[in-house]
Amino acid sequence: MVKTADIQIGQVIKNEFDQISRELLKTYAKVSGDTNPIHTNDIIAEKAGLKGVIAHGLFSFGFITKLFEDFLDQERDGKIIRINIDMRGIVRCGDLLVTEAIISKTEGKRIFFDIKQTTYTNVDIKKNNKIIKQFEAGERGYISEKDIARGFLKQKEVDDGILTYRERVSMEGNAIIELYE
Amino acid sequence: MNAEEIKKNAEFLIATLPGRKIEGSEKITVRYKNLVNFARIYRKTDTKYIGSEEDGIVAIRSWANVYTIKTLYKLVLGEKFQQGGIERPFLLNTNKMLHAGNIYDWEGCVDVKNGDKLTGTASWGEFWFVEKNKMLFGNLHAKIKNQNDELVCNVTSRIGIRPGGY
Repeated sequence: MVKTADIQIGQVIKNEFDQISRELLKTYAKVSGDTNPIHTNDIIAEKAGLKGVIAHGLFSFGFITKLFEDFLDQERDGKIIRINIDMRGIVRCGDLLVTEAIISKTEGKRIFFDIKQTTYTNVDIKKNNKIIKQFEAGERGYISEKDIARGFLKQKEVDDGILTYRERVSMEGNAIIELYE
Repeated sequence: MNAEEIKKNAEFLIATLPGRKIEGSEKITVRYKNLVNFARIYRKTDTKYIGSEEDGIVAIRSWANVYTIKTLYKLVLGEKFQQGGIERPFLLNTNKMLHAGNIYDWEGCVDVKNGDKLTGTASWGEFWFVEKNKMLFGNLHAKIKNQNDELVCNVTSRIGIRPGGY
């Protein structure tokens, strides 16, 4: 059980999700009622200049809400009061979505968080400077000049070679929860 | 649309919309299957959200996305007004609209339960223009209540509209 006495400024809570697929976005569109085809139809998304389908903004937002629900044992230990989010970057199929919240202050039973959601988008794997595996972002050209100029493109060693990926903040904001004890 | 027209339309909307109540409302009936399917998208396994219909379940907090989108689409896309004596829709091209931010405020609110009948009403908040990219931004404030007139959520959706869309 989460209690006020156990809370520490600077404490981080986090979740990760790596199962964003076209199938899941179709299910989300159907269930949520957000049936804008830019989220489900690559051809229409391309016509809109998006190079392929993008996740619904509120779909990704849902993982922020989930983070607090899970922290509060599905709101048995407290209640989510407010979540305020700026949507900054597009989320795509295949992205790893990492949602983190850090406790910035407390006031009685109210806990204040700063939130950051980051996407990790694989582009390709190279060996001896040759591409041996290309991911959707590489195939469809999701990486922009702006991404490169801003230093979002990174590399790391993996089993097969050197992985190029983009690390970009997709959402930022803050939240308030209230604990029962 | 030329630069002068873009600026003229932005100035008109910035002067006209803030504080204006959007006519009409959106009605949403909360169904068991929809609550469960929505909770499963977020990999929820707790019976509080996906238990039997007889035992009663509540919506996960993210289900706010459902009434937000329905209210946003229905009320914003239906919004029309006079500009220079001519009727115009709020959005000239719906593909130019982006969801730029969102606030869910559940202070003093009750849970959403299977069978609830929700009503969403909305009004416009502040609007502002960003010269650099000619984007028009604005806030839409929505109030969601249940059939007992209890508040379910206060939602603020920040929308951004690219040139040609306003």
